[in-house]
Amino acid sequence: MNLNPNLLRRSFLTSACAAVLAVAGSALATVDDAHSFAMEAAQSYVDQGFIVREDYWNGEVKSGQKLMIRHQLFKGNEYAFWLGTANDGVDLDLKIYDEKGKSIEMDRKVDKNSMFVSVRVNPPKTGTYTLVFSLKSHSEKSVFWALAYGYR
Amino acid sequence: MGIRCAWIAEGCPWPLNRLRFRYFGLLLDVVKPLMPLFKLMLTLSRRNWMRRLGAALVLLLCTGQSSVCAQGSSAGVQEFDPQAFPGYVVDDVVVPVPSEVFSVLDKLGEPNWKQEIRKLDMPNTGDRTLLALMFGTVVAEGFVAVQAEDRQSVQDIGREVINLSKNLGLSKSVLPHAQAILDAADRDDWSAIRKEFDRTQKTVQDQMEKMKDADLSQCVSMGGWLRGTTTVTSIITKSFSADRAELLNQPLLVEHFIAAISKMPEGTRKHGQVVKILAGLKDVLARMESAVDGFSQESVEKIGGVCSSLLTDIRTGK
Repeated sequence: MNLNPNLLRRSFLTSACAAVLAVAGSALATVDDAHSFAMEAAQSYVDQGFIVREDYWNGEVKSGQKLMIRHQLFKGNEYAFWLGTANDGVDLDLKIYDEKGKSIEMDRKVDKNSMFVSVRVNPPKTGTYTLVFSLKSHSEKSVFWALAYGYR
Repeated sequence: MGIRCAWIAEGCPWPLNRLRFRYFGLLLDVVKPLMPLFKLMLTLSRRNWMRRLGAALVLLLCTGQSSVCAQGSSAGVQEFDPQAFPGYVVDDVVVPVPSEVFSVLDKLGEPNWKQEIRKLDMPNTGDRTLLALMFGTVVAEGFVAVQAEDRQSVQDIGREVINLSKNLGLSKSVLPHAQAILDAADRDDWSAIRKEFDRTQKTVQDQMEKMKDADLSQCVSMGGWLRGTTTVTSIITKSFSADRAELLNQPLLVEHFIAAISKMPEGTRKHGQVVKILAGLKDVLARMESAVDGFSQESVEKIGGVCSSLLTDIRTGK
């Protein structure tokens, strides 16, 4: 059987491009999905007058690995943080600490499907706070996440 | 915003500084070989799929490395904090928009926001660093105008946003936002305008990062912060109280900007405005760090003076 080398090369390149696009597309979808779930969590807070920030953190992390973010909060505002994931069956944890390492008072709400967790805080002082969070999957080695916040 | 993995000991995150110093020597040996990969990732844009694949690879590598670390330093972990264990620091900083501070000032009194609006009279320039700084200040001016509920100012600012985005070559992405600002201004829909200014800034910064102009994206943030802080200090000075002054306790943000400047390409780092901003930020940081018992009226005025002077330089292009 004679195979045209040009045709073979073209087919190979097409398949390779399709594979790359599929991988890229799937990565985009999952990270964006994590943010979508965070925004779903935010919805009820928006109804209560919270202003959701457009900027947010996101990424992919090994299941169970703890992550830390430092963030500026202003006393007098009430803040809500929404941690979302695109993966099913994930245990979400989010804690917020002040500069001295003391956990600040908060209300916590976990989605019944475990796709997001919401944490509300009233910072006792203006300054730098530390958010520590983890996402532990029962089935996946890594998890896509997004963390957004709002204030009022 | 992706993970920028700086390896550090955490868990219960304190005493972070202590852990950071104790582990630093050991960690440096472990992380050093990965630094080129980290740097490569940092140069890739936020939404770049390659970066995400890279992030996954680095996570895998770090996972392997962290287990090596744990074996090598398990006694150290026990010694310092039994709860401490390896984790990642996401070192992206989300800079608050000015309205986050403004909303507190509103709760503490009734500032005269109209008095705080500054007339826009931007010079024509093709200098992209200056344009990015100007863009940040103009968006922040938008937040002041929203606070003042000043329709005319919002419309003027909306038009200036369009002009600057054209000069930055970003008008296609910005025009829908600018139009939404102008439409919302017609309806006096202040919350929609506030949201749209935030979106505008994010769109511009995302586009800049996609075009490998992360330094310009940082300039947008810095311009916005300088404009916002000029307003905050002005209001605090007019009606000083410890509660209001405490709003200036923002060392994280100033440190972030100083670090961002140090990572900029030489051309941007040595830009006249950026050099002046760096000097000003160091001055401001020193005042923040020395305000252990709170900010005095004098230190608020000094911080305001520094920010206001830098803002004037940006807006006049001097």
